[in-house]
Amino acid sequence: METTKNVIELKNVTKDYGDFKLDNVSFVVPEGSVCGFIGQNGAGKTTTINLILDVIKRDSGEIKLFGEAVDGDSAKLREDIGVVYDEMGFHEFMTARDINIMMKHIYRKWDEQVFFDYLKRFSLPTKKRCGSFSRGMRMKLQIAVALSHHARLLIMDEPTSGLDPVVRNEMLDIFREYVVEEDHTILLSSHITGDLEKLSDEVVFIDGGRIVLAGNKDEILEKHGILKCKKDDFARVSEVLVVHGEVSSIGAEALINDREAAAKLYPDMVIEPASLEQIMIHYVSRKR
Amino acid sequence: MKGLILKDVMCLRKQLTVFCYVIAGVVIVSVLYVLSARFGNLAEAGREMMKTDDMSHTDVRNIGTLALVLFMLLPIATIGDMANVFEADGKAGFARVSAALPVPRWKRLLSRYCTIYALFGIGVLIDVLLAAVLGALTDIITFSGLFGIIISCASIMSIYSALVIFFCILLGYGKEQYVQILSILAMAVSFILVNIGNIRKIANNVAANAEQNSGSGDISFLFDALNFIKEKYWVLLLIAAGVSIGSYAASLALTERKRGVI
Repeated sequence: METTKNVIELKNVTKDYGDFKLDNVSFVVPEGSVCGFIGQNGAGKTTTINLILDVIKRDSGEIKLFGEAVDGDSAKLREDIGVVYDEMGFHEFMTARDINIMMKHIYRKWDEQVFFDYLKRFSLPTKKRCGSFSRGMRMKLQIAVALSHHARLLIMDEPTSGLDPVVRNEMLDIFREYVVEEDHTILLSSHITGDLEKLSDEVVFIDGGRIVLAGNKDEILEKHGILKCKKDDFARVSEVLVVHGEVSSIGAEALINDREAAAKLYPDMVIEPASLEQIMIHYVSRKR
Repeated sequence: MKGLILKDVMCLRKQLTVFCYVIAGVVIVSVLYVLSARFGNLAEAGREMMKTDDMSHTDVRNIGTLALVLFMLLPIATIGDMANVFEADGKAGFARVSAALPVPRWKRLLSRYCTIYALFGIGVLIDVLLAAVLGALTDIITFSGLFGIIISCASIMSIYSALVIFFCILLGYGKEQYVQILSILAMAVSFILVNIGNIRKIANNVAANAEQNSGSGDISFLFDALNFIKEKYWVLLLIAAGVSIGSYAASLALTERKRGVI
């Protein structure tokens, strides 16, 4: 039987900044999957991504990329990684042509043809300074760069935040195209859960520097549910099942972690499927 | 690494434009100097000096030569300040992009030094070519004297640049103004410490002259310094090499601790 390879593996990774701590973070991203990395702002998504990319030094734990340890000299591994940040990162005076000149001398597998094809497809000018680009154009330029060196892994940190729905959808289509290839993997960090719900196979949910949930998205959505009942009936619901609940004068609403069990135990109560956003909100509220 | 060097050069575009204008200016001044030294006022001053045995005519020649030398040093002085590259990178947030590239940290750092020394190399090469032409076409200045001055100036600028890179790494982005001041301060303090004996001598000399109410003091130290620059330029070159290696080693150690700063 063929075993699934993990492209990203984090084991008990810790990074302490004093006022914020990434605490024993462990998760895996299987090859060929789209992993949604969810969490509110300041939850630790960017820190985790920076640790994966070896931009910052971890205090403890183990990180592996393509099965190889990230140990401070993982430049070679980055040849196979395309990175898209929430901000462009290229100098405003640079044109797409300048970026091509720079990148073709950096990536061994840089494909000029692919890059200019993407620019054409995204309607990005090649001779215009990227400082004059709109936010959407800047993100597209980053994506064109990330996809033009035949990367096997795309790591994206909030690539869709601040974009209008049309551009966002366009970008999601590009990501979908990218993962058609079996060995292509995406780690997509976002707090816009709607995008991740559409695209991801796996979900990792981080809050306050700790992993709250990690696993297959469909399984997570299938397991969790929103239980709605009368205020008095809520007392009957087992605490083990309830992640977080809110009682108001109208009734009670709670996120439960085992929809099937709850349906059997409380057939008189309404249990609806939960969205990733609801799951995220309830888990965060529980902590507070 | 080549890609990063190209990016750094792109960051210095404005300075390179100034550099091109300065080179054009230096070439024009050199042509004027040669014309003057062969057929104009400088030649006339030389002839007068020989005819009348009046050494004051040498002043004209010295001032003309000093102006030319100062002009010749401008290309090296204007060619590149790494603080500008760090400032541009900081504004763009390029450090994150750079950190995600398949280039190891030591190479990312080395590219900074390569950029600046490559640019200095161009400046030095142009100046040396001009010095060779000037040395051959005039009898006022010698190639070896000009060569020593050019290498000394390039060495001093290299020391400054190496310090700028180190302080940029130490202090991080957005502190480029402090970096420039700190680098100049470090150089000034080192110069004073190395020359403390000479400074004392000069001070004593000035005090003695004041006591005797004598107007003209001993200014031989100026000629000593000029001779040192002309003849022992290799000492400055060795110091520049040492400072560059030290700056690279210290900066590399810092980037291990402060990843994401380069």
